[in-house]
Amino acid sequence: MRTMSNEASVVMSATTTMPSRAKVGMASLIFMESAFFAAFLVTYLYYIGKSPDGPQPLDCLELGPVLFNSACLIASSVTVVFAVKSLARGAVGAFRLWMVVTILLGLEFLVGTGIEWRGLIEGKGLTLQSNAFGTTYYALVGFHAFHVAIGLLMLFGMLLLSLCGCINPKRDHMRVDIATWYWHFVDVVWIFVFTLVYIIGKVPQGGSL
Amino acid sequence: MSDAPNEHEAPYLRAIPRPTPWPLITAFGCTLVFAGIVTHVLVSVTGAACAIVGLVGWFREVFPHEATEEIPIAQCEIPLPAPVLAPRSTPRHTVRKLVPEEIHPYRSGLVGGLIGAAAMAIVAAAWGIIDAGSIWMPINLLAGVVLPSIGSASEEALKSFNGTWFACSAFLHVSLSLMVGLIFVVALPMMPKRPLIAGGIIAPILWTGVAWASLHVVNPTLEQHISWPWFLASQIAFGCACGGVVARFNMVRLQFGQTIAERLDVEQSKGGSR
Amino acid sequence: MTTTPAHSDPARSDPESSGGASTERLTFWEEATRWTLSVDHKKLGLMYIAAGLVFFLIGGVEAAFMRLQLMKADAGIIDPETFNQLFTMHGTTMVFLVGMPILLGFGNYLIPLMVGARDMAFPRLNAFGFWLFIFGGILLYFSYIGSQGLYGAPSAPDVGWFAYAPLTSRTFSRGNSTDYWILGILVSGFGSMTTAINFIATILCMRCPGMKLMRMPMIAWMMLVVAGLVLVAIPVLTAAQAMLLLDRSLGAHFFDPETQGSAVLWQHLFWFFGHPEVYILILPAFGFVSEILPVFSRKAIFGYSLMVAATVGIGFIALGVWAHHMFVIGMGPVLDSFFAAATFLISVPTGIKIFNWIGTMWGGRLRFATPMLFVTGFIAMFVIGGLTGIMLATVPMDWQLSDSYFVVGHFHYVLFGGTVFGIFGAIFYWFPKATGRMLDDKLGKWTFWLLFIGFTLTFMPMHVSGVLGMPRRVYTYEADRGFELWNMISTIGVPVQMAGILVFLWNVVRSLRKGEIAGNDPWDAWTLEWATTSPPPEWNFDRVPTVTSARPLWDLKNPEDPDAHYE
Repeated sequence: MRTMSNEASVVMSATTTMPSRAKVGMASLIFMESAFFAAFLVTYLYYIGKSPDGPQPLDCLELGPVLFNSACLIASSVTVVFAVKSLARGAVGAFRLWMVVTILLGLEFLVGTGIEWRGLIEGKGLTLQSNAFGTTYYALVGFHAFHVAIGLLMLFGMLLLSLCGCINPKRDHMRVDIATWYWHFVDVVWIFVFTLVYIIGKVPQGGSL
Repeated sequence: MSDAPNEHEAPYLRAIPRPTPWPLITAFGCTLVFAGIVTHVLVSVTGAACAIVGLVGWFREVFPHEATEEIPIAQCEIPLPAPVLAPRSTPRHTVRKLVPEEIHPYRSGLVGGLIGAAAMAIVAAAWGIIDAGSIWMPINLLAGVVLPSIGSASEEALKSFNGTWFACSAFLHVSLSLMVGLIFVVALPMMPKRPLIAGGIIAPILWTGVAWASLHVVNPTLEQHISWPWFLASQIAFGCACGGVVARFNMVRLQFGQTIAERLDVEQSKGGSR
Repeated sequence: MTTTPAHSDPARSDPESSGGASTERLTFWEEATRWTLSVDHKKLGLMYIAAGLVFFLIGGVEAAFMRLQLMKADAGIIDPETFNQLFTMHGTTMVFLVGMPILLGFGNYLIPLMVGARDMAFPRLNAFGFWLFIFGGILLYFSYIGSQGLYGAPSAPDVGWFAYAPLTSRTFSRGNSTDYWILGILVSGFGSMTTAINFIATILCMRCPGMKLMRMPMIAWMMLVVAGLVLVAIPVLTAAQAMLLLDRSLGAHFFDPETQGSAVLWQHLFWFFGHPEVYILILPAFGFVSEILPVFSRKAIFGYSLMVAATVGIGFIALGVWAHHMFVIGMGPVLDSFFAAATFLISVPTGIKIFNWIGTMWGGRLRFATPMLFVTGFIAMFVIGGLTGIMLATVPMDWQLSDSYFVVGHFHYVLFGGTVFGIFGAIFYWFPKATGRMLDDKLGKWTFWLLFIGFTLTFMPMHVSGVLGMPRRVYTYEADRGFELWNMISTIGVPVQMAGILVFLWNVVRSLRKGEIAGNDPWDAWTLEWATTSPPPEWNFDRVPTVTSARPLWDLKNPEDPDAHYE
C-alpha cells in the first residue's frame, strides 16, 4: 500500500521520522510466516527417525535434482534484486527482463518439486499416508511450495502491471522492493527446509518411538 | 508552545479512505474456500472466485493511488473555537504532588540512628544485668551474627569480656543503627498517618516478628539465650528514640534537581526548610 | 511545550448531529451499508465489540445450561453428548469469538485515537480482518446445522476447546464437526493475524509528532506486545490445525498414536499457542486498568517505564511457559522443573504491575465511578486468579489438581474476573467517547455488584469442589461425593450474573437514546482520545496534535505545571 496521501504524512516527515508502514507491515507478515514454518520445521525435527516402517528418507531422497532446484531458487533471489535495482534506476526494460528470469527460475523450482514428488509417489511409494516421514515431508515441502506459488503470483502480477505500463519507477520502486522481500523470505525458508530434510533428516529410521 | 497551526499541515483538508466492499468480499471468499472442505468442492471454487475478484478490486482501490473520500470543505471551514476540554464536574485542581513532598534531612537519620543505638544499648544492658547475669552477654550474642565461633562458646565465655567480640559487636551495632536511621528518614514521610507510631511501635513489632521467625537460621546462639519481651523492648526503644530525633528535625522540601549536598541539608538556604 | 489539540467545532460536539461526515439523518439501510462497507477503525472497532458481546451472550447461555445440569447430582437435564458440545462451544466461543474480538476491537478503536493518528495503517486490511472473524464465527456455529455427526445427525464440535488428540482423529470423532471447529478457528485466526500486523504498523508508524514510544499510553504498549504474541502464537495454532486437517481429510499421521503419530506433539503445539493466548487475553485488560486507574485516582500512573518493561517481559516469558499445562503427561523432572520455574518467573513482572497499580491508587483522590469499580474488582479477582495459578504451577500440586474444577475456578478468575471485568470497565469508560452519551452510573453499579457477587458465588466454590476431586468436563456426578453443596452454590450464582448482564444491556439501550450528554472529556482524563469530539469525526482529529509528554491533556489543562517539565 502506498503512503498516506493526506497531510498527516507531511507533518510526520517534517517533524519525526517514523518507519514506513509498508515495511513494518511486510516485516510483520514475514515474522508471522516464520512462526508458521517454525511449527512445521519443529514437527519435522520431532519425527526424524521415528518411521520404522515404510519408505525411508535414505532410500527416497536424492540430492542431485533437489540441489539444482535449490540453486535455481537461490539464483532467483539474486535476479529479483537486479530487477529492483533496474527499476530504481528507471530502466523498466531491464526490470521486465529480470522479472521474467526470476519467474522462470521460480517456476523451475515448482516444476522440479513436482517431478521429484512424482518420482517419490510412483517410484518409491512414499505418500502422505505411508508413515511419519511421508506425512511430515509432504506437509513441510508442500506448504513451502504453496508459499513459493503465492510469491510467484505476486511477481507475476508485478510483471503484468509493468507490461501494461502501470508501474512508474519513481513512484513505485519502493513498493516493488518491499513486495520482493516476500520472495527472499520464501528463499530463506527453503534453506532451512533443505538443511533439515535433505541433510539432517537423512538418517536411518530406528524403532525408537 | 505551538498553538499556532502547524504550517506543514493544510488545516482544513480532510480525506478519509473510501468505504469499500472488496475486503468484505475477499474475506467471504476466503471463508468459502475453507468451508468447501466440509461441504462441497463447488463451494471452494465459488469462494476462490469471490476471493480473486475481491483481491483485484481491493488492489485497484490502493493502486496506483489510495481511494479517498473528500470531506466537503464547507464542513471543515467553521472557525475553530478553543478546544473544548473542560471537565464535566470541575474537580479542585491541586498542584502536582510528589510523594514524598518533604523529607527530613538525611543528617537527622544519622543522628537519630546514633541516639537510637544508645537507647537500645541501655535496654540491652539492662537485660544483661537484670535477667542474663552479665552486661557482656548481649554484646557477645550480637557478635554471633558474624562470628560463627561464638556458637560453640561456653556459657562462661559468653558472660565475660572479649575484646574481639566487643569490637565486632560495637561495629555491627553502630553501622546497623546508622543504616536503619537512614531508612527511617526515607520511609517515615511515606507512611500514611502518624509516622511515629509506624516507626516507633509498628515497625519494631513487625521486625521482632521477622526476627522471631528467622533467627534460628541467622544466629542460632542468640536464639538459645534470647528473651523476646526484652528484645521487643529494645527494638521499641530504638524506634522511639530514633523516630523522635528524626521528627525533631525540620523537614526539607524535595525538589527535582537537588543535589546530594542540598539533600544532606548542607545548603539549607536553597533547600528551604520550613 | 503544550499540546496542539484537535479543535472541535460546536456543530459536531452535539452528538445528535454528529456521526461522521454528514449531518443529515440517514435511513436505516443507508446507515447499515455505511457500516458494512466502512473501513473506519472506529466503526470496525465498535462492530468487533458488538459482535463479541453477541457471542458473549451465546457463550454465556451455553455455560448456564451446563451449570443447570450440574446443579444437582445425577441430573438428567442434558445428555452427555450435548454436554460435550456445550463445553467445547463455550470455551471456543469465549476465547476466540468473545475475548479476542472484543479486545482487538478496543485496540482498533483506541490505538489510532491514542497515538494521534487519523486511521489504522492499513484500513482495508482492518476491514478484511474483521469480516474474517465474523465469517469464521459463523462457520463455527454453522456446525450446529451443517455438520454431519454420529449417524449423520447435525452435531457441534465436542472435543473440548483444546481438541486433544487422539480424540480428534477420524476414529473417535466421526462426521465433520471437528473439521468445523478447525476451519472456524482457522479463518478467524487469519483475521486476528491481519489485525495484529495492523496494530504493529499503526503503533510503530502512525504516531503523531512528539509521540515517542515512551510517551504512548499504556494500552498502546500492551497492544503492541499482544500483537507480537499473536504473530508468534496464532500461526503455530494455524499450523497445528493444518496438520490436524491433513490427518483428518488426507490420512496423514501427525497426531494419531496408532500410526506412529504423537498425541503429545499436538499438546505441545496447541499450548505453545494456548499459553501466549492467555496473555493475549489479559494484557489488553491490563492496559484498560492502566488507563482507568490513574484517571480515577487523579494521579499519573506509578512507574510507567517499569510497567512497560514488565509488559515486554511478560511478552517474552509467555512464550516459554506453555508446558505447565502438561505436567500430568509425564515430561520428566527436567522439563517439569523448567516450566514450573518459568511460570514462577512470569509472576514477577505480573506482580510488578499489581504493585504499580496499588502505587497509583495509594494516596490518590479515588473516585469510585463504575469504570473504577470494575477495575478495582479486576485487581482483586486477578490477584486471586494469579495466586491459584502459582499453586497450579507447582508440579506436585498440579498432579493433584490438574483437570479438576480447581483449574476451572482458577482460569475463570483470570479470564472472567480479569479480562471480562476489564472489558466492562473499558466499556463504561469509553462508551461516552464512542457514543457521546454517558452510561448510567447507578445501573452500572448494579451491574458491577450483581456480576461481582454472582461471579464469586459461581467460581469460588469451584476451587473447593476441585480440591475435593471433582473432575472437569463431566456431565454429571454421584450424590455422595460431597460435591453437591458447592455445585449448588455455583449454579445459584448464574442467575445473579445474568441479572447483571441484563441490567447492563438495558443500560446500553437506554443510554444510547436518553443518556446524559457526555461532552468531549467527561472523566477529566489525559490521553489524546479525549481531545477530540464525542463521538470523534471519521478523521479523528481536525488537526493532528503534537504532544510533549505522556499525558498531553494534562499539559493542556495545566500549562503552569506540565508533565513535559518532568520528563
